[in-house]
Amino acid sequence: MFNSPQKYLTKVFIQIFLRNKQYIIFSLILPIVILSIVGLSNGETDPIDIGLVNNSESNLSSQFIDQLTAGNLFNVIRGDEDSLRGDLINGDIMIVLIIPEEMSDQIQTTNITLLVDKSQIQFLQTIEPILSQSFLSIEREITGNDPMFNLVIEDVKSRTQSYIDFLLPGIMAFMLMNLSIAGSGFNVVEFRRRGILKRLFVTPIKPIDFVIAIVIARMVIVLGQLSIIFGFALFVLEANIIGSIFDLYICIIFGVLMFLTLGFSLGSLAKTQESVGVLATLFIYPQLILSGVFFPLETLPEFIQPFAQLLPLSLLADAMRSIASDGLNLIEVYMNFIGIGVWILIGTLISTKLFVWKEVAG
Amino acid sequence: MAIIQASNLVKTYKNPDESSKYFNAVDGISLSIHPGEIYGILGPNGAGKTTTLEMLEGLKDIDSGTAFINSINVKDNPYQVKQIIGVQLQANEYFDKMTLAELLNLFSALYSLSNDPLELLKKVNLADKANANANELSGGQKQRFSIACALVNNPLVLFLDEPTTGLDPQAKRSLWDLILDLNKMGMTIVLTTHNMEEAEILCQRIAIMDYGKIIAEDTPQNLILQYAPDKVREVLNGNMEDVFIALTGHGLRD
Repeated sequence: MFNSPQKYLTKVFIQIFLRNKQYIIFSLILPIVILSIVGLSNGETDPIDIGLVNNSESNLSSQFIDQLTAGNLFNVIRGDEDSLRGDLINGDIMIVLIIPEEMSDQIQTTNITLLVDKSQIQFLQTIEPILSQSFLSIEREITGNDPMFNLVIEDVKSRTQSYIDFLLPGIMAFMLMNLSIAGSGFNVVEFRRRGILKRLFVTPIKPIDFVIAIVIARMVIVLGQLSIIFGFALFVLEANIIGSIFDLYICIIFGVLMFLTLGFSLGSLAKTQESVGVLATLFIYPQLILSGVFFPLETLPEFIQPFAQLLPLSLLADAMRSIASDGLNLIEVYMNFIGIGVWILIGTLISTKLFVWKEVAG
Repeated sequence: MAIIQASNLVKTYKNPDESSKYFNAVDGISLSIHPGEIYGILGPNGAGKTTTLEMLEGLKDIDSGTAFINSINVKDNPYQVKQIIGVQLQANEYFDKMTLAELLNLFSALYSLSNDPLELLKKVNLADKANANANELSGGQKQRFSIACALVNNPLVLFLDEPTTGLDPQAKRSLWDLILDLNKMGMTIVLTTHNMEEAEILCQRIAIMDYGKIIAEDTPQNLILQYAPDKVREVLNGNMEDVFIALTGHGLRD
């Protein structure tokens, strides 16, 4: 099956790649930087900068401020309303709390004004419950009431998992997608445009020889690149992998196959380098948001979730995460493999149907 | 017996202006080329020269008609045909970051052969460029290199598509010498050109194509006798350019 022209062409593709030092470095920089930032900060969030204007001189207000400053959730910046308003508009602080003059020790409802920038609406949805919760606990402390309920959060997975452990399989899946698409779709269009494909097909090699060579070469290249990222995460950032690394690599191999065939499809649909760029962007970016690589799928609107789960990157990232973080084996993620298989089939069909090998000169 | 025998070759494309209409880029061409011959196909831009070559080379489907090279049916056995022909294309770009020697090794490997790249480069006078990249070559060197690539399988028939377009006179003449040398060694050569002098000097027979058809075919001498305007012919100063203009007119093509 693997004949000598294929072997030689595979060797040449790998050789060309290895000589492109700039590309190798650039392709590794982004994932390493993202992983480093996450790995070194260990997923802890920075305290939120908030402004505070205290117009009251009561004990209650100073108690309230003490409570607010005590936790590591907020970084409280005190000042007068005008200057803090300016800071808020400049985006230096997220919100400004204004404690009114009439805040007193008597039990009565005090209206605390919250100045916000509506453009930070997303952030506000997160901070509002935190603030309300803080007010409640401060109120209880001051009034001396015991809380009726206390929520104890217990991790049923009962193991040490940091954000990097969540992120690593996703980043690897995402990187795998980018490298595979760039290595098939872009290459094919570029080779076609420059007449290199035509020059190859003057010789007695068949299109399938070319496809096998480029798939194997890309497989070797992407496995090499991912292994570097993986090694960096494991040994430098000390990420945890619960499942079998062998199983993870099987996922990666099928993932590369899937994205190479889909990349060939994009390359077949696009006639020019510009349009393959646009197509690749349309293919890659929605998946970046919808595939749960950086955020869990559950945070997406409910009606999108069933579709999002079927995206190529979701299927792969989910399988890789299930193995890496949850310790599942290949058989337990068989549904993902069925999905990946279907995408490989779709990719192969589109690229063989649409790529007119005889008219390679375009 | 002819080494290339084509009859009624047709290639149909959609009309780029009106997609519902079709036109024949090659419209019923028949050719009979003898072994050891240098055969030229002349014609204005868009006449169908390159398409004709690419159908013979197995690069484009033959929509109707038949073509045989060394008695092998191109339509049925394109890969067998590709084994015995060498092709130099108009565009000659190669993989980046590979030297000429490496590229020749690659092309040899694609025929499951191995060659000494230096021997091939010597043939085309590029031995000193063995470790250069293809994009570092001048126009003439590039053309000579693409002929070297076409020689890796020691072909019976060599197809050259406008081999001297864009070359300076020196480069052009050195390429003509190379083509004549290869022909002396027994290689059949089919070339397309716009260059009348080239056709006249190199080719034993010439076909003139226009609008997908062959409108004249003969030796350069006979074509001049037959088609050059009387005045020119009488003073025996006629050349192929006179024939070409007489047959295809003065109008500019794209």
